[in-house]
Amino acid sequence: MCAAAWDGPTAGDLKAAGAESIPGGVRVKGWVIQSHKGPILNSASVSLFEDKLQTTHLPEMVFGESSVSLQHAQTGIRLHFNALDALKQWKQEALPPVQVPAAAKWKFRSNPSDQVILDYDYTFTTPYCGSDAVALNQDTMQTGLDECSSLCWEDTDDRIDLVALSAKEPILFYDEVILYEDELADSGISFLTARVRVMPSGWFLLLRFWLRVDGAVMRLRDTRLHCSFGSKEGAKPVVLRELCWREATFAAMSAEGYPSDSAAYADPNLVARKLPVVMHKTQKLKVPS
Amino acid sequence: MGTSDLDRQIEQLKRCEPLAEAEVKALCLKAMEILVEESNVQRVDAPVTICGDIHGQFYDMKELFKVGGDCPKTNYLFLGDFVDRGFYSVETFLLLLALKVRYPDRITLIRGNHESRQITQVYGFYDECLRKYGSVNVWRYCTEIFDYLSLSALIENKIFSVHGGLSPAITTLDQIRVIDRKQEVPHDGAMCDLLWSDPEDAVDGWGLSPRGAGFLFGGNVVSSFNHSNNIDYICRAHQLVMEGFKWMFNNKIVTVWSAPNYCYRCGNVAAILELDENLNKQFRVFEAAPHESRGVPAKRPAPDYFL
Repeated sequence: MCAAAWDGPTAGDLKAAGAESIPGGVRVKGWVIQSHKGPILNSASVSLFEDKLQTTHLPEMVFGESSVSLQHAQTGIRLHFNALDALKQWKQEALPPVQVPAAAKWKFRSNPSDQVILDYDYTFTTPYCGSDAVALNQDTMQTGLDECSSLCWEDTDDRIDLVALSAKEPILFYDEVILYEDELADSGISFLTARVRVMPSGWFLLLRFWLRVDGAVMRLRDTRLHCSFGSKEGAKPVVLRELCWREATFAAMSAEGYPSDSAAYADPNLVARKLPVVMHKTQKLKVPS
Repeated sequence: MGTSDLDRQIEQLKRCEPLAEAEVKALCLKAMEILVEESNVQRVDAPVTICGDIHGQFYDMKELFKVGGDCPKTNYLFLGDFVDRGFYSVETFLLLLALKVRYPDRITLIRGNHESRQITQVYGFYDECLRKYGSVNVWRYCTEIFDYLSLSALIENKIFSVHGGLSPAITTLDQIRVIDRKQEVPHDGAMCDLLWSDPEDAVDGWGLSPRGAGFLFGGNVVSSFNHSNNIDYICRAHQLVMEGFKWMFNNKIVTVWSAPNYCYRCGNVAAILELDENLNKQFRVFEAAPHESRGVPAKRPAPDYFL
């Protein structure tokens, strides 16, 4: 799939940035940034997840052990991206199910008398924008998120500097982790992924929920996080978080003159700009002192 | 087309080299003659090995044959979804089709919901044909063949096999036998249900998917279907199961999944179900082909200046 193989960052790039490769990640400017990838949940873990979430319906592919974590030792900041927390928020948001185009026709089928209509949000749409915590000392860094207090994000007029992020700095660490995915029984696609890249000037993360219900609706919920390391030694990190939600029905896209077939909407990167924004905000992390 | 031509084509396909367009056309014509004679409930004799979804994972299907034995030494029943999602739908389907033409009584192919014009245009097979042949002719030949694939199989009158599941419009096998199957998979009705429906723990009788289309069926439905048709259990595919197979409703229905490490990232194992001449069951679980045998080295994702 990938055009070129990547052997990881060069020793020279790491050294120049004062960074160090660690298993599944990198240590740089006081941050420990790591990803972990596991297989989809087996039957036993599915039951465990179902118990925790109080549901009998999970995405077909839940990469329950996969995660991205970013920890800053000095301030105790801990950011974490995982499927369980994302699905907790899916359960909370509990959107009404999206009807596929064929549904209209199905309404006229002679229905079996004992038919039950399931009504959970099978698209697994989630408002999740990451899990966070502040660890009070080095020891609690290892404990569960529940035992720590959470971080505070404040609305800001600042913007993530996408121009600076377009600069081709050396990449010290890169990964893409799927948290969950569902094929909607061949009626489209739903997935949640986290991508991270670490450069000498800072790190950047994109958490993306993408949904396409063929012939019905598309949703793109992007969360971008950027941390600029700053130039001074021991400077407090600045972390910005931008939430951008886009959504449109196929009917609305078609009315705008865009194609109405699903094959035209395979790649969310190409779809993004065509979809109208329904929510946008930028927040700044209040760095604990 | 002679046997030696066919044997050569099978060898070529086993190396994951696609056939020439004219060869595909000839193969499909030959296959059509065989498939048109098959019943909607195709009779299958034991011993036989039942396989679930493959989804164009050619090298993993080669693992399947390593575990299950080569055709025609082993008899096979494939429950559909040969194409889409994987990288080698063309080679996968053509190899199975060539084996079908060469050994019609040794291999049975039934239709999955992906063996459809509409679905293959969204999920990969159409694009793959266009990429590999520069035209959509091969896709046309193959999708025409899809219309001839049988809808289900009945092993020794005791095991009913189908891609998806049951339909509220079907209570007896005879009702399946009279379906006019030579068409694109419809959006509703019995033929659609057989290829699309799923068993569901949360319902006893019939359920409607939250999508507003697609039936779900519970334990009671399966019990009464098995009882009225005098069958032991239903064997179906269609849904990914991490362990390769999954029994439901007190062993009245089993899902078999034969695409290991599905979509090259799920890390699941796959399974096939071997039935001996007395219908004794043995599940054979297998893993994905190692990277080296695919001719592509394992790579880290190339870094990308995503924004």
